Amino acid sequence: MYPQVLLKNRKKDRILSLEEYREMGGYKALHDALTDESFHPRQIQELLLDAGLLGRGGAAFPTGIKMKTVPDDAPHPRYLVCNADEMEPGTFKDRVLILTSPHQLIEGMILAAYAIDAEIAIIFIRREYETAARALEQEIGRAREAGYIGKNLFDSEFDCDIIVHRSAGRYICGEGTALLNALEGKRANPRKPPPYPTVKGLWQLPTEVQNVETLCCIPHVLKNGVDWFKTLAVSKTGAGTKVFSVSGKVNRPGCYELPMGVKLSEIIEDYAGGMLPGSRFKACMPGGASTQFLPESMYHARMDFDDLKNAGFRLGTGAVMVFDHKTCLVEATANLMVFFARESCGWCTPCREGLPYILDLLNRIEAGEGEVEFIPMIRQMCSHMNYSYCAFAPGAAAPVESLLTYFEGEVMAHIENRGCPFKIGKVN
Amino acid sequence: MLPETYKSELKDRLQKVGNPREMVVDVMLEVQEFYGWFSDEALEQAAVLLGMSSLEIEELATFYNTIYRQPVGKFVIHVCDSVICWMENGYGELIDHIGKKLGIGMGETTPDGLFSLLPACCIGYCDHAPAIMINKTVYGDIAPAKMDEIIETLRQEK
Amino acid sequence: MPKLIIDNREIEVPEGIKVIEAADRAGIYIPRFCYYAELGAVGACRICAVKFVDGPVKGIEMSCMINAQDGMVVSTTDPEARDFRRHVIEWLMMNHPHDCPVCDEGGHCLLQDLTESCDHGIRRYKGKKRTYVDQYLGPLIQHEENRCIQCYRCSRYYQEFAGYKDLGVMGIAQRIYFGRYAAGVLESPFSGNIIDLCPTGVYTDKPSRYTGRRWDYERVPGICINCSLGCHITVSARYREIVYLEGRYSGKVNGSFICDRGRYGFFYANLEERPRQGRVRGEDVPSGRAITMAAQRVKEVSESHGAAAIAVIGSGRSSLETIAALTHVCKVQGWRGPVLFDSRVSSESVRTAVSCIAQELAVSMKEIESADFILTVGADPINEAPMLAMAMRQAWRKGAGVAAIDCRSLDWPFQFEQVTAAPDDMADFLAALENSETTVISDRFVAQIKSIAAKIRACHRPVVVCGTEITDSKIIYGAAGFVKAMRQAGQEAGLFYTLPAANSYGAALLDEIGETAEDLIERIESGEIKALVIVESDLWDTFSDRQRLIQALEQLELLVVADFMATEILHRADIIIPTLSIFEAGGIYVNQEGRAQWSPPAYAGGTPIKITGQGGHPPRIIRPDIPAGDISPAWRMAWWLADRQPPASHDLLLDWMGKTFPVLEKAANFTSEGIRLYLPEARRKTARETGGRKIQSLGEYLLLPVAAVFGDEPMAQRSPCLEGYAKHPEMWMAASDARLFDASDGDAARLQLPYGPLELTLRLSERIAPGTLIVYRCPDLFWQQFARSSRFIVPKDRIRIEKKA
Repeated sequence: MYPQVLLKNRKKDRILSLEEYREMGGYKALHDALTDESFHPRQIQELLLDAGLLGRGGAAFPTGIKMKTVPDDAPHPRYLVCNADEMEPGTFKDRVLILTSPHQLIEGMILAAYAIDAEIAIIFIRREYETAARALEQEIGRAREAGYIGKNLFDSEFDCDIIVHRSAGRYICGEGTALLNALEGKRANPRKPPPYPTVKGLWQLPTEVQNVETLCCIPHVLKNGVDWFKTLAVSKTGAGTKVFSVSGKVNRPGCYELPMGVKLSEIIEDYAGGMLPGSRFKACMPGGASTQFLPESMYHARMDFDDLKNAGFRLGTGAVMVFDHKTCLVEATANLMVFFARESCGWCTPCREGLPYILDLLNRIEAGEGEVEFIPMIRQMCSHMNYSYCAFAPGAAAPVESLLTYFEGEVMAHIENRGCPFKIGKVN
Repeated sequence: MLPETYKSELKDRLQKVGNPREMVVDVMLEVQEFYGWFSDEALEQAAVLLGMSSLEIEELATFYNTIYRQPVGKFVIHVCDSVICWMENGYGELIDHIGKKLGIGMGETTPDGLFSLLPACCIGYCDHAPAIMINKTVYGDIAPAKMDEIIETLRQEK
Repeated sequence: MPKLIIDNREIEVPEGIKVIEAADRAGIYIPRFCYYAELGAVGACRICAVKFVDGPVKGIEMSCMINAQDGMVVSTTDPEARDFRRHVIEWLMMNHPHDCPVCDEGGHCLLQDLTESCDHGIRRYKGKKRTYVDQYLGPLIQHEENRCIQCYRCSRYYQEFAGYKDLGVMGIAQRIYFGRYAAGVLESPFSGNIIDLCPTGVYTDKPSRYTGRRWDYERVPGICINCSLGCHITVSARYREIVYLEGRYSGKVNGSFICDRGRYGFFYANLEERPRQGRVRGEDVPSGRAITMAAQRVKEVSESHGAAAIAVIGSGRSSLETIAALTHVCKVQGWRGPVLFDSRVSSESVRTAVSCIAQELAVSMKEIESADFILTVGADPINEAPMLAMAMRQAWRKGAGVAAIDCRSLDWPFQFEQVTAAPDDMADFLAALENSETTVISDRFVAQIKSIAAKIRACHRPVVVCGTEITDSKIIYGAAGFVKAMRQAGQEAGLFYTLPAANSYGAALLDEIGETAEDLIERIESGEIKALVIVESDLWDTFSDRQRLIQALEQLELLVVADFMATEILHRADIIIPTLSIFEAGGIYVNQEGRAQWSPPAYAGGTPIKITGQGGHPPRIIRPDIPAGDISPAWRMAWWLADRQPPASHDLLLDWMGKTFPVLEKAANFTSEGIRLYLPEARRKTARETGGRKIQSLGEYLLLPVAAVFGDEPMAQRSPCLEGYAKHPEMWMAASDARLFDASDGDAARLQLPYGPLELTLRLSERIAPGTLIVYRCPDLFWQQFARSSRFIVPKDRIRIEKKA
């Protein structure tokens, strides 16, 4: 059993109470940071940078660097936004993190806000997570009573309040800049930096957007130190733990907190209870619907940002979606494209029109109307998704590209047989 | 029409925030709650409350997926159709079963106005696939029998 | 200044511009849909992708999203970039209908052009096309959403640039829809620009629907004469009528856009009722014959009563050529006139404004966009000079503050602060802003005036916009004084007047006396004047006492009316002489900043084929000449009336004008930006020559008929498609005054006036100056019966309010 940090003392069917969180050393990091006069908020940024904490929302951007991009003389109010708009198929770790220990997130947010001197912190949460939203609202109230949120925290000059904002629902709202437009009551089209949100974000004021899991890590880094955090990982360059949300054809789908860099095979076999009876591993998406399929050759790959990147993949959010040998990956990919085509904000042409086009071609292949020339067409369009407005379309193209790279045979079988081999019984 | 007390309470809240636009989603959802769906009347009322044009509200109402611009039943069943739920064994049969049980297809509402059936993208309960959401409550590990039970309970509840 | 290479061509460009604009400057066209210079870059359509081969940026990027930087090497022809652009077009064409043969955009469709040039020829997509239900957007714009390629130009223009909220983008992903919340007439008086902006046929011109292809038309670069701004337009004519007008780019005046009054205000030139032949005592005669007869009759009157018994009335809607010719003819013949102003107030106001404008003070409309504070005094741009409101909005969007001193309830598409002042008080407010002398103004305004004064002092490029309709010469002179004072204090302050008509400025340049129709009527009444020649004047509509006008006209021995429009006064004329419109004769018009601009003729004139053919095509009557092709421009007619020979050509006319009128000496050297004309120092007014009038006393109401964007301007109000846009008769009253009458908004107001009662709908506003009643001129309102002078005082007991049911 690896050390548990974020999901430590996780209770079945209930959250960790404020008292329980405190007993585990909760809010100590916040107390120390705010009461130690020799400790400058900027040191939080340095610590996080040294600790190698990378954004856990999928992009793996160094948290410390993002904080540093808020200029010293930036205007106020400044905002910290917690991105809890977890909408990527296969991803549910943020829900589990919030419902395990809301105070861990609250403490992380206040510390992150302190690091950039933000006085308003907002949790942007998807509407499907109403239970989590209510738990947060309730615990924010308790934290406020206990003096962890509010004015002059720990008798310092620092004020900070946390607001829970429920999204009206769209996958694109999880994109950091689209999220800001959503918060401003606009259509959630992404914004193109520069200026970056840390310079001109919400209401044109400095805004730092961080993922739930990233924020949850912060108190632990401060409390236990940079070296401790680094040694949690088992890969060369990774740091900390990663909460993997495992789903699909495994015996025990769920959230598992494991060292950064743990092997995929280990996650599936030792934690998720192995493949379902009668199922053989065929592929897996390591980080949600916008990452490439990992083929069987990657079964023992280390699940770390750098390791996967070097092999041409993306760890994304660490949402491990496992597909077995009985699942048609053409149809599965078409399903993903339905999602992406439906959720495109409609701003730029490649995403708005190109994704439905690719979907149409996939559907035709699946339905037995495929032609060999569809394959180069799809490939070409997928590569063109890189020139869309935001990261949504390249993400949507990732599974399709990897389907053609690693499972071209399966696609060709559809075309040659004029139908889906899984439906016309050519696969056992 | 929205009750006056409700309107004045909303107006008070709007006055407290820096920019009424901040509240636009909250107001739309609350007005929708009152009307049961976001009807033209609901939309126009929200526009007046927020000092925005009807078009500006419509721009948002048609963008976000929790705003219903068509009438829906008392219980809106959002059925996840994303990849994890989709690949669960028996997913297709489950969808057929729900449709048959209610006597409606996707995007339709039962004649008694009780249930609407809508497809939804991943609702973040992949560890409990297949999952559905009815109004604000999520139900996981759905099988035909469990679905029948939920529907019957809600029928009683109405 | 960054230097970069685009397609092997080196170019140096200003800091901060995008690569696409840099390419434009180098003459290299990069495809674009969402990008539009005045709307800025948003990176939505992705068709402007180019390859950055070397320099600070590498790879395929959108040329509209990247600033031109030193050392960049850009290729627009790179195979990868071309392949991507070909795909973008293919994606956009997935759903675009192949209805080009019946689409009015066909032939000048950007999507058509770029589909060709980006090399997308064969449809590969096998899916169905999506379709939409179109909306009725009013009589001006046809909506066909199926053609939409989601470039977002229309919604960005409509909401962000123009500031209106009833057209936008709905839906998401592939189901995006551009339109209104519900079908209905677009609210913005600048809506027509979406026709020009749309890169394909989603929005097309409705009145000219199915009329022809762009290459069928005679197209010329024209000037709009529906207000004093002189916006640039492109005129399209075919079959002897104007088909449509479009905005034309001007870096000095209007940018790319125009208002709907200007865009649709041309139909007077096509109307069947337009005079197209001469008429002498009820009998149709050829146009030339009517002129000869008129010259003969004028000569007779001159012989029996003397030359001074003949008077000529012109107007600010005539070309500078016509005004010059009339001025010259009156002078050499000894006739009275030409009278170019309706009322004494208007004459004094306009001539004061023109005498105050000077090269160093005047700002162009485009320069207003970079002002950092704008103060308006008695000016209502949206109604008096619509595009000025757009320019002010652009300044406001860049952070400029806007304050207005006015007595109306101003309604502009941007935020501004209004100081509500009665016309009599505006001069004091202006003075208070200039020298912080606040003792003369009411206590409750002191704080507001001080705060505005502080804001003006703190900015670098303030502009004072001053109207000439409800202001007096003291205010107009004061506005220039304020600007001069600010310039002396080191601010780059600018001055901008609005004037009543397209050539009011030109009229004031040539008119040294400033005699008015009011003066003339008196002389007719006294029997001094026996013959009147009215040339292209709207006296019937603009003279404030119609009864008196009618009686005066009846006293005349001879009334000659020459016009290109069917004004009411034609019916009272002994001799009617048709003249040519600006589209047929061309003409120079001097806009309100003193910019003389030439609008060339678009076609040779003649009765439209639609009328001669009675709807059939081709026309069945075969004749060797052009029907009604013998009409002369008014300037030629002027010489002939005096039995003299006009200059033989327009070029010679310009030479003659430059030699005859010192103020026009530059007239022969026109550039596309026009030339700037100012009064010489000797003809400028001094402070002593200007004055305010305190005309109102307690318990009296000042009734002000004011300009309205539609239904007021004499030419545009004849356009059938604009009929529904005119306001209904309304009277605006201060909310505090309404309490004295126990009146509420929507009540009926009944005014007992010298010529009988008048009913209007009462509208209330906190921003109307107490004691002032505002009436927007509109066709349904017979405001010429208000009183016997151009400013109307109504005693309180003449106002009755009837509660609405």
